[in-house]
Amino acid sequence: MKKIVTKLLFGFILIASIISLPSATPVEESSIMVIANVKGAPTSLTMKELKSIFQGEKQRWNDGTKISIAFMKSSTPIGRATASKVLNMSGDQLNKFWLALVFQGKAKAPVFFGSSNEVESFVSQNPGSIGVVDAGYQLKDSRVISIEGKKSF
Amino acid sequence: MNKPSVSFFKKLFANGIRPLKLVSLAFVLFCGLLVQAQPDTQIRGFVDFGTNYKNDQVNFTLGEQDLFITSDISDRVSFLGESVFKFSANSPTKFDVSIERIILKYNIKGNHNVLFGKHHTPVNYWNDSYHHGRVLFPTIFRPMMFDMGVVPLHTTGLRFQGQNLGKLRFGYDALIGNGVASTDAIDINKMKSVMLGAHITPKDGLRIGLSYYQDYIPKGAALHHSSNVSKQNVKQALYSGSVSYFGSKYELLAESSMVVNKNDSTGVNVSPTAYIYAGYRTKYKLVPYMRVDLLNFSSEEVLFSNKRQRGALVGLRYEINYLTVLKLEYNYTESMSMANHSSMTNTRAINFQFAIGF
Repeated sequence: MKKIVTKLLFGFILIASIISLPSATPVEESSIMVIANVKGAPTSLTMKELKSIFQGEKQRWNDGTKISIAFMKSSTPIGRATASKVLNMSGDQLNKFWLALVFQGKAKAPVFFGSSNEVESFVSQNPGSIGVVDAGYQLKDSRVISIEGKKSF
Repeated sequence: MNKPSVSFFKKLFANGIRPLKLVSLAFVLFCGLLVQAQPDTQIRGFVDFGTNYKNDQVNFTLGEQDLFITSDISDRVSFLGESVFKFSANSPTKFDVSIERIILKYNIKGNHNVLFGKHHTPVNYWNDSYHHGRVLFPTIFRPMMFDMGVVPLHTTGLRFQGQNLGKLRFGYDALIGNGVASTDAIDINKMKSVMLGAHITPKDGLRIGLSYYQDYIPKGAALHHSSNVSKQNVKQALYSGSVSYFGSKYELLAESSMVVNKNDSTGVNVSPTAYIYAGYRTKYKLVPYMRVDLLNFSSEEVLFSNKRQRGALVGLRYEINYLTVLKLEYNYTESMSMANHSSMTNTRAINFQFAIGF
């Protein structure tokens, strides 16, 4: 029994250690810009309000419009920067957080996209939606929400 | 066994509303809800399997396949369904399918909702948060109070829910349902189960909650969530409290439920139960953890076991990513008769689990 426990424990730690070897050096985070549909969102928000929205705590705008969230995938630099700068999480933590919330039936799942163009397309077509894009992205049909008075951060 | 009351419908029909009209009205209302519908349906799921070493042999085990569906039917109406497929020795096919949740939710205003259907009774953090999502479980198995039938896992009925209200992110739940001795389709008596709960989230990751649950279990009734059969008519009250903290480094989950089962034979039986879980997240996604379970059932208990149950486990969790988790655990449990303290039995096991989400 003791030998089997030791072997299992050793095997588990070995596998986990191999998989978890650090794979990348830290890189500078991308600047992000928060955008919204013309209906619903105000023109400016505080970081605390934005965090509350991105954590699924505030689910309707003050005019009653339902909030829909559009994120970039956590595999993208903008997705990682959103998780880190707004929620103080890693991309994986953000995904797990939302998986749990949706599974509990407490919030509508965000929609994840691969590019700023796709995020803006979704936001512009869905009233009440809010999303995050690259700070350098040229908007076509939606508007910028300033956060703590800044257009990007 | 009492038949369900039909006086409400009799009165309704006597006042000129015929059944066909009633059905038509309900259908029109439902269609009205769908008029502006832009169905947004997602199907997700969890699967787990593993191995264990018990009684000097290694076993491979298939866990559960859990499928859950979420759908936004309209601006204010949404649906959540959860079905579990799992091994069952008693089934002819060796598998059982169970409907774990079917919930139709209507958003009244802001963060206030009314929900109808089959719920996981939100008496504590674990039952309200993890359901059957093994990827989300901090340990391999649920705490012992779940397996021993203390926690009323499901309630079919009507629920009012509020969440993230005010600075403390206050939340409430009020639930009325068929109770643990009834089925999902019919209540076996007129008595309804009632659950009231409240919680606050004063900071990210920290939740403190309290709840009260009451139910009536008639003699001979089998509980829907365990193999227990009531030996007497029991009026049950369950008082629960929980504190949970899941931060970037430390994890703590402590929950306690005190069951007060009142019956005509042995009077009032009070059984305190609790567990505490603690984990530490290292920078390499490895989480060493431990859990201790304590269940002190009254020696005159007529609904649950009348034995004292204890358990302890230590384990390691490795989260490859948010959808893939490995867990290795050493479990020890012991059971002691409250009438004869010398007759103690214990079990030891090593369990390994590979849980994924998709």
